[in-house]
Parts: sequence; structure tokens; C-alpha cells
Amino acid sequence: MNNEERELFLEKYNERTHFFGRISLILGLALLIAAPFVMGISLDAMPNMSAFAKGFAQIAIIYIPSSIVEFLIYVPMLGAGGSYLGFLTGNLINMKIPCAINARDIVGTKAGTPENEIISTLSIATSSLVTTVVIALGVLLLTPIRPILEADVLQPAFNNVVPALFGAMAYKYFRKGKQIVALPLIVMTLLFICVPSLISNVGFLMLLSGAIAIAHAFILFKKEEKENKS
Amino acid sequence: MNILEQLSSTPLYLISGIIILFVAGMSIFFLIRSYRAGLALGMDKVKLKRAITSSVTFSILPSVSILLGVIALSGTLGIPLPWLRLSVVGALHYETSVADIAAKSIGLSGLNVSEMTLEAFTTIALLMTVGIIWGCVCSIFFGKSYSKKLQGNSSKKSSGKSFGDSAMTAMFIGLITAYTGSYIGQLIQLKNGSLVVTGQYLQLIAFAFSALAMAIFTYFAEKKKMACLDNFSIAGSMLTGMAAAVIFGMIF
Repeated sequence: MNNEERELFLEKYNERTHFFGRISLILGLALLIAAPFVMGISLDAMPNMSAFAKGFAQIAIIYIPSSIVEFLIYVPMLGAGGSYLGFLTGNLINMKIPCAINARDIVGTKAGTPENEIISTLSIATSSLVTTVVIALGVLLLTPIRPILEADVLQPAFNNVVPALFGAMAYKYFRKGKQIVALPLIVMTLLFICVPSLISNVGFLMLLSGAIAIAHAFILFKKEEKENKS
Repeated sequence: MNILEQLSSTPLYLISGIIILFVAGMSIFFLIRSYRAGLALGMDKVKLKRAITSSVTFSILPSVSILLGVIALSGTLGIPLPWLRLSVVGALHYETSVADIAAKSIGLSGLNVSEMTLEAFTTIALLMTVGIIWGCVCSIFFGKSYSKKLQGNSSKKSSGKSFGDSAMTAMFIGLITAYTGSYIGQLIQLKNGSLVVTGQYLQLIAFAFSALAMAIFTYFAEKKKMACLDNFSIAGSMLTGMAAAVIFGMIF
């Protein structure tokens, strides 16, 4: 494939990605929103809309802004195909994003390249299928495995899956970006020690730590560029 | 038939199952499509397969913890709804807290099976669904324009060395440092002007041991040229961190 053919192929691929991504999200959302009503028909008990409005007001205040923040942060990380599929399949922060980033590290693709986008999409699709299979098997085998999964002794393990995941990723990334780790880490640690109530808003505050890390990385990038020129 | 049996009845399983199958179908479609695009662009088949293998091993443990979320919610909402919510769009940390807010907002004292009614259940189901769809809504309306803007920015830089890679690394470092800070903040907190150790240390233990295991995996992969370990290093490190949390939980 020469350069011209490659550009043409990518243009078509990206257009189709947006088309299929949007269609799958629209269909997925339509099915999801219909589900409580269809369940309501089956159970002969439709949702109470005034209670829904009251509850939605409480939930929307917290979750609509955080969804917008997530959208702004995750799309650059995952690329178009990866983010359409990621938002549809969910569990982004605790699985899909680290999974896609790990796959890209292993394969060695660069951010912003089509190859990167392809690996992200492959990774998220695979991860989503694994979750579907694990949960489906778990639901099927719920009776025999429930006592094991709910054993008191194992609760510290299952309650700490996300810290264990971030521990492994931290080693990889702190090593990769040694120069930019210290500042956001110190700021975030001090912030959470001094204002513990902010811990529940860690999803929002990663905007702050991300901004600090990116600003620092940008300064270093410009410095390096200047040194290379002189 | 008691309420939990009604909430786990066959029609509800069918409704959830159909939607989950649709989403699994979309995942398969995107998987095949991106695999073929990778081959068409001349990407190495071995690399594409490594991306798939590493994603499988990576996803197993977090999936088990998501299954635990299904089990936790099944005590009050039956199995089909938590199964659906945690398989499609949902997020482990979101569903349990929103289910609780939803239950309280419709007049229950909390997510409590003794107070659950069928109407409360369908209302909670609708609230849990509508509350989390906004990332999807943003993607439908702004995904294309935002992605194009980002692609435009990266192609402008393509003539020189791109900042894109550093920015992505920095953004992910920002994300990890936020969570790392929160684990330290769980253990040490400033209360009434003095530092207090709360005793919530298991998150940090899991984090630290997992990082240590990752260091060992990296050593063998890089210094001993055992690149095959890369596929299992995250899963192995997570298992180590989780095992450490169990051991510390038993001892202390």
C-alpha cells in the first residue's frame, strides 16, 4: 500500500468508524433505556416517573459533569473506535483504559497513529468480550462459586483489584515519565491528606493532576526542542 | 414467588441477555474490523495477536471483581439487572453508589430487599441507566468532531517530533498519581490540625506489592530477554498485590 492508498484507506476507515460507532451507541442506548420499561411490562410495574425525576436531579448533578470530563479525557487516550466501544461497554477506568494502554505498550505503537487506534480498539473489544464471558459464566455458576467469591478471607483481594491494577501500571508509567511524576503525586497526596472528603471525587481531580503532568511534560518537551536546535 | 425470585425471572434474564448479546456482537464486529484494518495497513500479525492475548490476560481479574459487583447487587436487585448494568455502559464504582442514591430518592431507606417493590425496582433500573449514559451521549454528538480536532492537532505536529506521545504518557501519569494520592489520603488524614493514621492501609499494600511484582516482571522481561512475560505481567502483578492484601488482612 503506497502513501496515497494508505491515506485513502484511513480516511474511509475513520469515516466508517464514526458511522458504526454512532449507530452502535444509538442502538445500544435505545435498548438500554427500553429495558426498564420492558421489565416493567413483564413485572406489571412501570417506573414511577415523578420518583425518577427526583432521583435523576440528584444523580445528574454528580454524573453528567463527570461524564463530560471522562469524555474529554478518554477520547484522546483511546482514539475514535476505542472510545465508541469503550463508552458502550463501560468499566473504562477500572479496566478498559489501562488494558488498551498496556496493549499499546506491549505492541509499541505511538500516540496519534492509526496503528495506535487499531490496537486500542482490538484491546477494548477483547477486554469487553472477556468481561461478558466471565460475568456470564459467573451468573451461570453462581451457586457453586458464590461461597468462594464471598469468603471473608478473600474480601481484601477483591476490594483492592483497582489499587493492584494501578500499582502495576504505576511502576511502568512512573519509570517511563520519571521527571513528571513527582509534582502531581505530591500535589494530589497533600490535597487528599489535607481534605480527605475529596477522595470520593478522585475522578474529577484527575483533571488537575493530568493538567499538572501535561504542563510539566510540555515544558520539558519545549526545553528539549530548544536544546536540540542549539 | 418472593420479590427476588420475580427480579430473577426468565423474562428479565431474556431482556438482559439480548442486550448483552447485542453489545458482545458489536465488540466482535469492532474486533474483526480493526484486526483487518491492521493487516491492511501492514501491521505484523504477531503484534495484533499479542495485543489480543495481553488484553485477555489483563481483563480476567478485573472481570472477576465486576462479577463480585453483580453478586453484591443481586441480593437486592436480583441477578438480571446487575448483570446488564455491569456488562453494558456500567462501571463497578458507579452502579453500587447510584443504586443506593436511586433507592433513597424514591423513598426507600437504602438499597434494602425488605423494602423493595416492583415499582421501586423498575424506577431504580431506569435511574441507574439514565444516570450513566452521558459519556455515550457525548460520543454520539461530539465524538466525531472531537476526534477530528485531535487528529488535526497530531497531524500538524507530524513534521517534527510530536508532543502527542508525551502528552498521553503525562495524562496517564496524572490519572495514576490522582489514585495513588487517594490511597495515601485514605491512610493518612489531617483532622483537627493533626495527622491521623486511619488504618485503611490495604489499598496501599495492594498497590505497593503489585508495583514491586511489576518491577520483577520487567527485570526478567528486559534483562533476561523473556518478552513473553509482558503478556502476563499485569495479571501476575495484580494477583501478587491482591494476595498481599489478603495476607496483611489476615495478619493485622
